[in-house]
Amino acid sequence: MQLDFVARELTIKLVYYGPALSGKTTNLQSLHRLTTDASRGRLMTLETRDDRTLFFDLLPLAFKADGDLSLRIKLFTVPGQVIHASTRRLVLQGADGVAFIGDSQLTETDNNRASFLDLRQNLKDNGLDLRKMPLVIQFNKRDLPNIRGDEEIAQLAEHGREPVYKAVATRGDGVLETFLGLVTLTWARLDAEHDFSNKFRVKSENFVASLAKQLGVTTDPQGLIAAAVGRDPRTRREAT
Amino acid sequence: MSAQTPHRNDPLEALTMGTGLRLEDLVDREALQEVCKSFFGLFGIPVRIFNEDGQLLGDAVQEQALCQYLQTLRDGRAACGATVTAVKSASPGSSGDATHPCFTGSLYRIVALDYDGRRLGRVIIGPFLPVEVKEVPRSLLRIDAGVEPEKARELMPKMPRARTETVGRIAKHMQAVLDLILFSGHRALLTSQMHLASVRESYRELQEQNQKLTESYEKLKELDRLKSNFLATVSHELRTPLTSILGYSEMLQEGIGGPLTAEQQDFVTTIRDKGEQLLALIRSLLDQSKIESGTMSLKMADVAIGTVVSDVLSTLLPAAKRKGVALTAEIAPRIPSFRGDPERLRQVFLNLAENALKFTPGGGRVTLVAATDTADAGGTSDPDDDIGYVLFASKPTGVLVRVEDTGIGIPHTERSKIFDAFYQVDGSSTREHGGTGLGLSIVKRLVEMHGGTIAVDANTATVPPAGRVGGDVAPPSGRGRGSVFTVRFPLPKR
Repeated sequence: MQLDFVARELTIKLVYYGPALSGKTTNLQSLHRLTTDASRGRLMTLETRDDRTLFFDLLPLAFKADGDLSLRIKLFTVPGQVIHASTRRLVLQGADGVAFIGDSQLTETDNNRASFLDLRQNLKDNGLDLRKMPLVIQFNKRDLPNIRGDEEIAQLAEHGREPVYKAVATRGDGVLETFLGLVTLTWARLDAEHDFSNKFRVKSENFVASLAKQLGVTTDPQGLIAAAVGRDPRTRREAT
Repeated sequence: MSAQTPHRNDPLEALTMGTGLRLEDLVDREALQEVCKSFFGLFGIPVRIFNEDGQLLGDAVQEQALCQYLQTLRDGRAACGATVTAVKSASPGSSGDATHPCFTGSLYRIVALDYDGRRLGRVIIGPFLPVEVKEVPRSLLRIDAGVEPEKARELMPKMPRARTETVGRIAKHMQAVLDLILFSGHRALLTSQMHLASVRESYRELQEQNQKLTESYEKLKELDRLKSNFLATVSHELRTPLTSILGYSEMLQEGIGGPLTAEQQDFVTTIRDKGEQLLALIRSLLDQSKIESGTMSLKMADVAIGTVVSDVLSTLLPAAKRKGVALTAEIAPRIPSFRGDPERLRQVFLNLAENALKFTPGGGRVTLVAATDTADAGGTSDPDDDIGYVLFASKPTGVLVRVEDTGIGIPHTERSKIFDAFYQVDGSSTREHGGTGLGLSIVKRLVEMHGGTIAVDANTATVPPAGRVGGDVAPPSGRGRGSVFTVRFPLPKR
């Protein structure tokens, strides 16, 4: 997070993490497609010849929140391939929120798990606490065969602490939901810590709705956010 | 939230978060100049690009004839300067698009260069004359008492003319082109910064690992030192009582304690023999620990290697005869002498020759060769040594001794390990052939203390040993054809 108090401008960094080929870049591409030009910039991809992410993808978004605040959101993806460990750690520096994009296929269970452990370690190495980090989990590729079932996910999500979204990122399903869920959590965390809503006269309850509107989202944003199984991002997390 | 960590990468963070971006960092000045030139070539309207600090980064300008004329007039010159200053400092405002008029009736269009929601600079297009201006404006005629209306009427049409809307569209296009250039520039900058950061990060990781390796290496070295100390102490403590045992056996043997029966004499001889063996073993342990602790010293003298080798030969001839092994020496004439410890060198070749005898079955052959070395100065067995051989071969560079046998040989994979202390080619051969596994390790260290090298190869020159069935083929491992140990000592360079 970076705050320019004079310009009343807040920049936050959200990172899409996950195993190789789980659809992190596809999430950003779909988000780019689903939103209007007005508040988002060009999607920048730093990729290798075979279309695999080399360093990261970056999608900048800019909003005028009500009150006095300009909000800039930088959406990053990390390269999922195991060999890019140091790049992941670099991209994760200063992250304000993380969306973990998992692959729903049963065969990818181990890779999801390994990538999550990697996330935990890299956060720790960057001096960040996973327990305090705003986090949503997305089960992507719901359209493929041999995937973890809805019921099982719902059941598991009940035991977890974070909102879980289901998605088909190639079709754009669940992409806005995941993004808005993460923004909701991240804003709540930052606001609780820095009292932005008071300092900049931002109404927290309208915050995400106004942001969604500026992105050109026509569906009810509250409905999108509520699509989470497990924890609803709008509820306060029990004290830890 | 940002937490400070030791290896935080600030320039990268500024770049990715979009703070502190400057126009000149994202785009090459020459590229901007090119864009301006081609713009001017296309539309004939002057163009200038400034960064946010008002610094000119590129332009394509041709001074207008009208402006040149006005420059010759005092008030005209002043008014011209004022206009140019005003245009340069004019802000394109929040809309990013502004127009600034000149008293000549011409216009300047000022458009912002925004990237990622931040203003990085501006483009100034003009002056150009809007098509609707037909007459020389009064503002021009009044600017200076010396303005001749005729001259103004003649020069004004030479200004580039354009529709204001067209210029607006051109400006938009220019913005879009520059935005793309900025985007590519930003991406390239990010990529290179990311490369740098990744390399730095990998370097940091490697350093951490190196640190760990160094620590465990130091720990191992300390353990090794403790082991050597222990070895030295134990060997010393073993030797003291053994000396007494040997002394008393000798006295018994000599009949000092009374006459012995033949059988008793036999037993005491065995006790002495085995005692001597044990003493030799303890000595080599002591040698080993002396070498390891660096306290072994050499008594230097001029060494005639031929003498050393023939001495070894005569020492071992009886044992060779008993075993039925043909032991011979080939000593070349006029081998140069060199500085060394003759006693230690004798120990080296005695050990090598003893080994050769030990591992060569009856009917085999052990040959000691001493010669002047005329190969390369290092005496290495580098495979490239034959290149330029003619330049090196003519000069004696060292002394070499070879110990060749037709024994069981040493498998190729073991050859690098046999010089390690306590190493035995295999466990079973320890029982069959005896030994501590210290001999070759001591030999190698002694040779190295003389500045020499030792190498081992399969004996390719051997014929099947006598007594064996002809056509006996060596196994692929190289065993069964014997070994050649080559020791080289360099001669001092003159």
